[in-house]
Amino acid sequence: MATDLTERVQEIAEARDVAESEILEQALERGVEDLWIDLVLSRYVNDEIDRETAIDLVGRDRVKRAERELQVVEDDVQWGLSA
Amino acid sequence: MIVAVADTGPLIHLDEIGAIDLLSAVDGLVIPQTVYEELEAGTVPPALGNLEYEIVEADTTELAVDLDPGETAALAVATERSAVLLTDDLEARDAANNFSIEVHGSIGVIVLAYHRDQLTKSKAAELMRTLQTETSLFITDAVVEQGIALLENSS
Repeated sequence: MATDLTERVQEIAEARDVAESEILEQALERGVEDLWIDLVLSRYVNDEIDRETAIDLVGRDRVKRAERELQVVEDDVQWGLSA
Repeated sequence: MIVAVADTGPLIHLDEIGAIDLLSAVDGLVIPQTVYEELEAGTVPPALGNLEYEIVEADTTELAVDLDPGETAALAVATERSAVLLTDDLEARDAANNFSIEVHGSIGVIVLAYHRDQLTKSKAAELMRTLQTETSLFITDAVVEQGIALLENSS
């Protein structure tokens, strides 16, 4: 895995003609953003924040997607338990 | 008696977590030829050979939906046979709902397998988490945890 990451960083840096350190900085930013979105959606799904707050923080599309996923998962679990 | 028609998604996702055998939890498994060909375009999961299933041709001529060929074929067969559609695609689920076809996905199969004594509750929960973390199925982790909580609170 570490080798894969190192090789990918090298390949991206070469393709974009930028320093590997810059690629790592961008990767960190994207990674933190993804983790932040996961955290906000988790707090919304767990009723720790309200819908409007979640929309303000991560956008309406992501909130609606999470709501749809939740509906699907709950429906699947109920079906599996009762079929 | 559950007869289920599988789209490509659940076959791939369940295989990715080494759990394609859980499809034996349904009483009859149908795979449209188009779906099988989609599998062949990649790799047909070897473990699929351990399952009993029927491969059928789908007549999609009167099905006006904007889905992938495999999803369309699976929906057509499910409609024709009044069977359950198994798909992990949200748009295919919406289309099935529009046709009043019962539709479920990989998580439903895992829970059904638990309900039919093929799995312990803890193993089912573990597989649900693995489905979220280890496969190409996109689903928010907190949503899976809600599903697991629902499973764990069941009697």
